[in-house]
Amino acid sequence: MSEQKKVIIDIEETERTQLGELSELENIEAFGVLTVKNPSERCRVWNVRVLLSDTRDQTDITEDVLLAGEIDAGSSWQHRYKVTVESPILTLSETYDTCGEVTTEEPHWAYCFGKDNLLRVTIRVKNETDGEIDNIVLNKTVPPELSNVTIEQVKSGTAEYDDGTRQIIWKDFVIYPHEENELVFTATANVEDAEEKDAGQVVVTYRAEGQQRSLLAPDLTALTEFLTGIDSAENEPNNWEVTLECSNESDLVIRLDKAEVYVESEESGTKEKRIDESPEIELGPGTEWTSSFQMESKSQPKCSQEVIYTPVNIVTKRVLGTIEKAAQSIPVYKIEYTKTFDPPEVNSFDKTPVEVNIEVRNAGTAKINEITVIDKLPDDVMPPTKEYIEIYIRGEEYTGNFEFAIDPEDQDPNHPHTLTFKISDLKDSVGELQPGESIRINYSIMAWKSRPEKEYPSPIHCFANTYPPGIETEVASAEDGHKIGIIYKKRRISAKKAINKGTEAGQYILVLVIENKGEVTVENVKVSDWIPRGFEVVGIEPEDLEPRQQPVDDGTDLVWIFERMNPGDQKKIRVTIQGEGEYDRREPVVTSD
Amino acid sequence: MLRIKYFGKTSFMLSTEETSLLLNPGIWDGEAVVPDDLDVRIIAVTNHLDDAVGNAAQIAINAKAWVLGDESTIEKVKSQGAKPWLLHTLENEIPYEIPGMKLTPYILKRTDPANDEKIENYGLHIEMGKMKVSYVGDSEIRGPFGALESHILITPIGGDGVFPVRDAVSICIDAHPKLAIPMRWEDHEQLKRFSKYISQFGHGITPLVMEPGQVLETDWAAGHEFRFTISQNGPNESD
Repeated sequence: MSEQKKVIIDIEETERTQLGELSELENIEAFGVLTVKNPSERCRVWNVRVLLSDTRDQTDITEDVLLAGEIDAGSSWQHRYKVTVESPILTLSETYDTCGEVTTEEPHWAYCFGKDNLLRVTIRVKNETDGEIDNIVLNKTVPPELSNVTIEQVKSGTAEYDDGTRQIIWKDFVIYPHEENELVFTATANVEDAEEKDAGQVVVTYRAEGQQRSLLAPDLTALTEFLTGIDSAENEPNNWEVTLECSNESDLVIRLDKAEVYVESEESGTKEKRIDESPEIELGPGTEWTSSFQMESKSQPKCSQEVIYTPVNIVTKRVLGTIEKAAQSIPVYKIEYTKTFDPPEVNSFDKTPVEVNIEVRNAGTAKINEITVIDKLPDDVMPPTKEYIEIYIRGEEYTGNFEFAIDPEDQDPNHPHTLTFKISDLKDSVGELQPGESIRINYSIMAWKSRPEKEYPSPIHCFANTYPPGIETEVASAEDGHKIGIIYKKRRISAKKAINKGTEAGQYILVLVIENKGEVTVENVKVSDWIPRGFEVVGIEPEDLEPRQQPVDDGTDLVWIFERMNPGDQKKIRVTIQGEGEYDRREPVVTSD
Repeated sequence: MLRIKYFGKTSFMLSTEETSLLLNPGIWDGEAVVPDDLDVRIIAVTNHLDDAVGNAAQIAINAKAWVLGDESTIEKVKSQGAKPWLLHTLENEIPYEIPGMKLTPYILKRTDPANDEKIENYGLHIEMGKMKVSYVGDSEIRGPFGALESHILITPIGGDGVFPVRDAVSICIDAHPKLAIPMRWEDHEQLKRFSKYISQFGHGITPLVMEPGQVLETDWAAGHEFRFTISQNGPNESD
């Protein structure tokens, strides 16, 4: 049995889709090639007409009938066209979550500077049609800042990462109608600068056999080698058997659509249809079809025929697709800070208000939604209260809510304090902090009798995060950073004593001169002077400088306490004592804070 | 009750029903802060520079008021025509007392802007109307005022030869008055900082910024509760 060859009408349509960074459809175009192939080994087909009727609406084909002319054996004829489509038959989405370790409703979209960013990337492809899609090959470019690339999950198919080409290739799977497939991989990203990074392109190719994007439903008519003829045989006198004979002389399958035979009347010359058939029979190569009738005629009948046939065709079709998803731009969130004291130095032993200014700048390329500053204040510093903290964003005072905590919750300068400032949800208040913009925190402290021999570091630790929050980027000073400068003001307290005889026997006048000759105020100056047993105080000048008398083993200590002595302050005290016995000289003892 | 009227710069008048005291009626940029015809009983001047002495002599002549100051100040006022019998030289830490008022001067220092030399400036501790007022004049050192009991402390904050804000705050915190009144400021940022620091670190101290022409009335409610009100012009003021 010879091979049943049929003319092939092949519809191959191609769609090319471009997706944006976030998998949004940016562009799609589709075009097709309609091919008529003559599979015959020896027979030409001619008068080929491709019939499209009313199925060409979504294409740029302007005629209902395409004239293909003649097609030699083994040759083909093509017609290209465009197809209007709105979306591809395979949809692709990529979720590039830069922080897979923190679960949020929306994916994270920026790298954290200075940290390991544990990525979780999910790529989904979905068959939007009622047919299968196969031959799917997906290539994901892996950017250079990624390491530890691990395929975590594929629903079907095989996915491998090639470290040499830095490509993930996912293939060998079929997606059934309206089903979805998914690839998940994880990686670690480390960025060394704040420039925006490229997350890598995704390209997927696919094939949908038996499907098409246009609505074309073509048919064709053509001629080929097909023999027809009328055989008139007289069976009896004046009785004729007229036979229409059709023979497929080609190696193609031919469909006989119509067979008509007309007999012309000798007398009137009119034609009478004697064979009128629509057999729609497919005739294989070398096969025949006949139809006959009997008629009376004195002479051989004058017959004519009308036969319509055409090579049988089959339609094949497929869609080939490509989707290119643009690489997502991944910005980097990074902060820098400055911290200053005004004045930068304070006098030792004094109480001095100091302005503290902390400026946190968005030094990255991502928008920042929240900033936290942890600022440590040393002892001998009175911390601020919340109502006097000022925050400026983009140079304007920020009046929105912010969190402030102080630990411990007091203003006692005798111990260190930790201040925490948190300005969050900028997105919904004054807008996220754009790259280059900054937040300034201003508050006051009171340096409280700072001691010159001590150091007063005030380290700081700043954090920032995006929306949705991932891992925090941070920047910090050294643990002993940001020292409050202390200007050493020398303390010098002079105590002089004179002993003069009084107006009576056994009477002495002690003159004490206490003077602050230093550069700084001293507080709680304690002056202690001894008088021997047997003597008592009988007079003090000035009277308001009455000492406290404190008995000791061998006499009495006279004690004065001066709460505060400024540089240059002098206290001159005359003490008249009266008694019996020897009066040994001892020097006054002076102490102070 | 003690009333304190602010004229501007460093000029205040303290008054009770018994007496009145004008402090530093200075002249600034050639203009007197206090009118020549002010009715006042005593004028106290803390140093001999024009921004302190001002038109004290003319006011004293018109009002027949006493003028108090150190030797150089008294000499200057005398040379400007004040009556010698209405002049009184103050001595360091020696109180000057009349019915209804006790004033004790303490030697402090300021810088003469003409030559950058240090000159003496009296800080005054004033007791009037059951109130203790520390007025440090044009001082840049605090002397004993950080330790003296004061209900009201009046201090310069402008720097440039007198206290800058930080030193003014420091003395207020040590003296711990109920009211801290700044004077002699150069700009409003100084006022803002002074108020901020006092409010924040001077627990129990109220910073009170007075505008020229304003009158402060202070009183002890029920004999022990400090109260004050401030108005543009006091009820007995005519200007």
